[in-house]
Amino acid sequence: MKSSRTGRVRRAAALLASLELTAVLGGCASGDGAGSGRTTINWWTWDDKQAVAYQSCADAFEKAHPGIHVRITQYNSADYFTKLLSGFVSDTAPDAFMNSVQYLQQYASLKQLMPLDGLMKKTGYGTKRFSVGVDDWKYTDGKQYGLPMDWASAALYYNTGMLKKAGYSAADVDHLKWNPDDGGSFERMVAHLTVDRDGVRGDEKGFDKRHVKTYGISSMVAVGNDFNGLTTWRPLASSLGWRIGNKPNWPTEFRYDDPRLVRTFDYVRKLTDKGFAPAPGQFASAGNAPDGGQLLGSGKVAIYSGGSWEAATLAKLPGLKVGTGPLVAGPDGTRATVSNANGNTIWSGTRHLDETWAWVSYMGSAACQTPASRTGTFLPSIPAATDASVKAMAAQGVDLRVFLQQSRTHQLLPNSPYANGTALQSALLPLMQQFFAHQRSASVFPQMTEESRKLLRPTD
Amino acid sequence: MATAPGALGSSAPRRGDGRLAWLLIAPAVAGFLVFFAWPTVRGVYYSFTSFRILTPPRWTGLANWRELSGDSVFWHSLLVTVYFVALSVVVGVLLSLLIAVVLHRLTRSTVVRGLIILPFLISGVVAALVWQWMLDPQLGIISQLLESLTGVRLLFFGDSDWAIPSLAAVSVWKSMGYNAVLIFAGLQTIPASVYEAGRLDGASGFQMFRRLTVPLLRPILVMVVILTVIGSFQVFDIVSVTTQGGPANASNVLQMYIYEKGFGELDFGYASTMSLALFVLLIAITFTQMRLARANETDLS
Repeated sequence: MKSSRTGRVRRAAALLASLELTAVLGGCASGDGAGSGRTTINWWTWDDKQAVAYQSCADAFEKAHPGIHVRITQYNSADYFTKLLSGFVSDTAPDAFMNSVQYLQQYASLKQLMPLDGLMKKTGYGTKRFSVGVDDWKYTDGKQYGLPMDWASAALYYNTGMLKKAGYSAADVDHLKWNPDDGGSFERMVAHLTVDRDGVRGDEKGFDKRHVKTYGISSMVAVGNDFNGLTTWRPLASSLGWRIGNKPNWPTEFRYDDPRLVRTFDYVRKLTDKGFAPAPGQFASAGNAPDGGQLLGSGKVAIYSGGSWEAATLAKLPGLKVGTGPLVAGPDGTRATVSNANGNTIWSGTRHLDETWAWVSYMGSAACQTPASRTGTFLPSIPAATDASVKAMAAQGVDLRVFLQQSRTHQLLPNSPYANGTALQSALLPLMQQFFAHQRSASVFPQMTEESRKLLRPTD
Repeated sequence: MATAPGALGSSAPRRGDGRLAWLLIAPAVAGFLVFFAWPTVRGVYYSFTSFRILTPPRWTGLANWRELSGDSVFWHSLLVTVYFVALSVVVGVLLSLLIAVVLHRLTRSTVVRGLIILPFLISGVVAALVWQWMLDPQLGIISQLLESLTGVRLLFFGDSDWAIPSLAAVSVWKSMGYNAVLIFAGLQTIPASVYEAGRLDGASGFQMFRRLTVPLLRPILVMVVILTVIGSFQVFDIVSVTTQGGPANASNVLQMYIYEKGFGELDFGYASTMSLALFVLLIAITFTQMRLARANETDLS
């Protein structure tokens, strides 16, 4: 413990002095660890906030396992998977890492992931403790390759001041309904919240849709690289009963030509055409998808359709009171969205399997998830930890009850694992963007289905 | 062309020269073999295999080539690349020529020439990042100026129609100083007597530029065009930093698509096939250009 502390202090000092020195001293520090008989376990994540949250777990874990040192490293999600790949090839990948369902098939088929069934049996570790995501991390061979770490869904975050000024209350947001024909009470509210530069509202005469000062809602079309639309169009399509795959797990076709999806896509495109929602890319800054905090904070949007992981950040925006509303209900009152569970996976090339499993299984326990999730940066996969985290966040003024409600009233759909995630993204995202930009008409939907059919067949 | 007449008779010292010559070029040859020839040969082999990098390559014959011929994204990328090349070459060479002629007329100062070449010295990634911020629809200085002057809001990198022109503008900005200095050097080789003769014949300034300067500059211009064509076909860094091929594949140039297939989808076999296709294409283009432009001949002699 002590040697690593001093190593860390020395490294920090070196960082100030020179970058090259850091590398040298960093090497020394890990050498020290090995010399004193400590094994270093490397764990990677792409989420900067979770890297901090799990450090508290790592400290407790190191106390209980004096022979193990856990080093947590975070890389931006844009570079994360490329970094992992070069790690696999050069034999320097981390012992364990946070993973996304999109990459399960690719890594498992390349034999880079360690099946966990044997380890779970040996140490008597059961997956009953998790409320979500266990099946998302089963590969086609039926083995468990990852432990679900968290779950994520979507919500409507709104500027309470703007709503009040427009004559709405929180209860109005709680009862929003939409339909693909006229948009229902959802569109009426969004239109009324939209204000052009002369102060004319979206549902009033003389509204200038080319010079909008405040949009009623953030963009509901594909934002950034998210071709699954988890925080945008997906909840709307799901509320109509649309499900993406023809089978729950390892589907062979994505049903993009289903009329329910077609009408949803058509509807969210119309929201932008009418000037109620910004065009894709309009608020992108330096190529990054617009940030919810910036959109709400600068008054560019009145309602932001965002992810559960943003709840704490948005609730703490200075000088702004942000309310959290549930998903928009469909015509028959259904609310549904896909809940994405990231997984904790072990690299098959690890040299310290037992120590790594000790760390990974500790992360998948209430003892770790409870303190880590109190930071409000993720919703834990263990229900007991979720309750603790909701309580802790409420004390800080962050309202997570919306998400608890989603999980208790079965609004959450599993994120079915599928093959060739990367290839699907690069084939489907441009097609969606073309449709949303009016470069393509409805002919794009059969083509998207056809592409998915081609790519969902697992290769070699 | 110019063979030294004395060298023919004495063969013994020549052999000595040969050995020394081999020794001197050995480092370059070794580098070429290790870093160019061998990877090319491997690439050719991989283009006939299914290779997912962590598992050994599997021979699939012509399957990749058949996939290539039916891959609409590849052909789209080729068109996008050609569009980018055309814009970069036409705008770039015209601007460079203009700058070089103005420089030649106005100044001999090496300081000015040094300043003009500065953008070329900046790394592509840095240039792309800086331009991305300047063209940013929210914070960019150019976007704000444009909006306050004309009222038009352009998304530049975020707009399908403007992505490639924006990228070409960055590329032209980066290379035009270097090209201008090359052309400037060419201008200095044209003897003043030629212009004197032109003036005596009563030619106007523009006529002299068209009838004297441009033909006499041909070898240099051909070189600049060929370099720009090859360089533009290989564009990757500025695309990777700014648009990543988007929106909606509007700026998905070939190198970007190849990178995405290889390092994103781990389909290194197919990525090799596309690289090889690009390689063949570049050789063909260069060869044709050389032929068409008769670059070896100069009108000066």
